[in-house]
Amino acid sequence: MSVCISKIGKAYALSSMIVSIAISLCIFLVLLIYSWDAIIEQGWSLLTIRWHPATGQFGILSMLYGTSIVTLIALVLAVPIGLLTALYIAEILPDQYRIVIKSILELLAGIPSILYGLIGVAFVSTWLEHWLLLSSGRTILTAGFLLAIMILPTLITLAEDAFHNVPDQYRESACGLGLYRHEIILRCVLPMAKPDIVSAILLALGRALGETMAVMLVIGSIDRIPQPVFNLLMPGQTITSKLGREIEEAAFGSLHFSILIFMGFLLMLTVLIVTIVAHHSLSQTERRYE
Amino acid sequence: MNRRLINEVFTIFSSLAALFCLVVLCFLLTVIVSQGFPALSFKFIVSPAKNFGAEGGVLYQLLGSLLLVICAGVISLPIALGVAIYKSEYLQNSRLQLLSHLLLYALNAVPSVVFGIFGLIFFVNILHTGLSWFVGSIILALMILPTITLSCYQSMSSIPHSYRDTAYALGFNNWQTVIQVVLPQGIGGAITGLLMGLTRAIGETAPIMFIATAFSGVTIPQTLNTPVSSLPTHILALTKQATQPQALSNAWGASLVLLTLVLILSISALFSRHYFKLRTQR
Repeated sequence: MSVCISKIGKAYALSSMIVSIAISLCIFLVLLIYSWDAIIEQGWSLLTIRWHPATGQFGILSMLYGTSIVTLIALVLAVPIGLLTALYIAEILPDQYRIVIKSILELLAGIPSILYGLIGVAFVSTWLEHWLLLSSGRTILTAGFLLAIMILPTLITLAEDAFHNVPDQYRESACGLGLYRHEIILRCVLPMAKPDIVSAILLALGRALGETMAVMLVIGSIDRIPQPVFNLLMPGQTITSKLGREIEEAAFGSLHFSILIFMGFLLMLTVLIVTIVAHHSLSQTERRYE
Repeated sequence: MNRRLINEVFTIFSSLAALFCLVVLCFLLTVIVSQGFPALSFKFIVSPAKNFGAEGGVLYQLLGSLLLVICAGVISLPIALGVAIYKSEYLQNSRLQLLSHLLLYALNAVPSVVFGIFGLIFFVNILHTGLSWFVGSIILALMILPTITLSCYQSMSSIPHSYRDTAYALGFNNWQTVIQVVLPQGIGGAITGLLMGLTRAIGETAPIMFIATAFSGVTIPQTLNTPVSSLPTHILALTKQATQPQALSNAWGASLVLLTLVLILSISALFSRHYFKLRTQR
C-alpha cells in the first residue's frame, strides 16, 4: 500500500517537473515558430528605419534604438545613486536599521508598474513639458527617468546584499592599517563585491528591458529615431511599447504579426542572456568568500 | 589632510544619495495616497463602473482582479510544490539540478509582455478560447511559478540532512519522508513564495491585457471563457483618456485600491517569512 502511494507521489513530483519544462519549451518554440516568417521573408531588411505596415516596410531599427537608449538612460541615472545609497545602508547606517530599510525596499519593489505609468502621465511628463518648454512631455527622457525610479529599489537591495556579504574581517584589517572609511570602501569592499555588483546591475538591466506599462504610457509611441541621434527630448518607441500598442491591431498569421512576435522573441533572448550571465556571476561568489 | 576631506565628501555624497532615494520613494507613495484618497469612499468600492469608467466605482474590477490572482495561485501552487519536491528529494544528478535551476531563473526573467503575446498566440489564436479570464489566470500562474518554486525549494533544501536520515532509519520510504518531514518544514517557503507571487500577479497589466480583460460592460463571469475587468487594466484604460479630469480621478482611486491590495500581500509575505524562519529555527 505505502509503496503504491510512494509511487504516486513520485509520479506527481515528476509530472509537475515535466509540466514546467514543457511550458518553458512551449513558450520558446511558439515564439520561434511564429517569428520564423519574419526572419525568412524579411531577413536583413528588418534592420532599416521605416516602419510602414501598409506598404510592407518593416524596419525595427527605431524600436531597437528606443529600447537601448531608454534602458541606457535608466541605468546611467539609477546606477550611481543606487550604489551610493546601498553603500550608505551597508557601511554607514547602524546595523539595527538595516532590516527595516530592506523590508521597505522590498515593499517598494512590488509597486505595480502601471502606477508608475500613471504618475508619469500625470506628473513627470507635465513637469518636463513646463520646465523644458516642450510641445509634449512624452519623450524618451521621461521614459528613461521613470524606468530609473522603477529599478532603484531592486538595484539598491541587490547591491546592498553584495556589500553586506563582504566579511567584516576585511574591513577590520583595512581599518587596522589606518585607512579612512572611503578608502576601505573604494580599495577593499568595492573590489571584493564587484562581481555581485555587476550581477545586481545586470538583473536591474533585465528588468528595465522588459518593462512595458510605464514606458508605453510616457514614451509617445512614434516609430522613429530622433534627429540628431542623441536628442532625448523627442518621442520614441521601444519594443515593449510597440508590442503593447500594436499586437491587437495586427491580424493573426500576417507578416506584420510575425514581425511583432519576432521583436518579442528578440527581447526575450536578450533578457535571458543578461539574466543567465548575472546568475553565473552570482554563483561564483559563494566560492570566493569561503 | 586631503584624505580626511575626501572621506567627509564621500560620506556626504552617499548620505545625499540615500536622502534623494528616500525623497523620491516617499513622493511616489504620497502622490498615490493623496490623489487617490479624495476619490475613495465605501461607495467607490461597492458600485460598478459607469460611463466608461468616468463615473461610478471599481466593484467588478476589484472582484475580477481577485478572481484572476486567486485562480492563478490555485493553479500554480500544486505544480510548484511538485517541482520543489522533485528538485530537493528525487533529482540527484548535479548537472540536471543546475539545469533545472537555470530553467526556473530563465522563466522568472521572461518579460511580462512576452507572456502576454504567448497567451495571445497559444490560447486565443491556436486554441480559440477567445478573451477568457481563465486563460489570464493560467498565464499569471505560469508567471509566478518560478517565484513559488524557488522559495519552496530553498526552505526544503535548508532542512538538515539528519532529519531525513532519522526518517529513513525509522523505516520511512521516500514519499513518507516527504509527507512527514519535508512538507511540514517546506510549507512555510511555499506560503511565502505564494504571497510574493500573488503580489507580482495582482499588479501585472501586460500579460492579461490582450487575453483576459475587457474594459466596459463586464460583470461577474458565468463561464470560463468570458473576459473580466481588472484593476490594472482599468487604470490603464483610464490613464489613456487622461485629459478627462473625472476619469483621471477615478484612475487614482483605483490605483490606491490596487496599492492597498499589493501592500497587504507583500507585508503578509514579509511576516510569513519571518514567522516561518523563527519556527524552523526552534
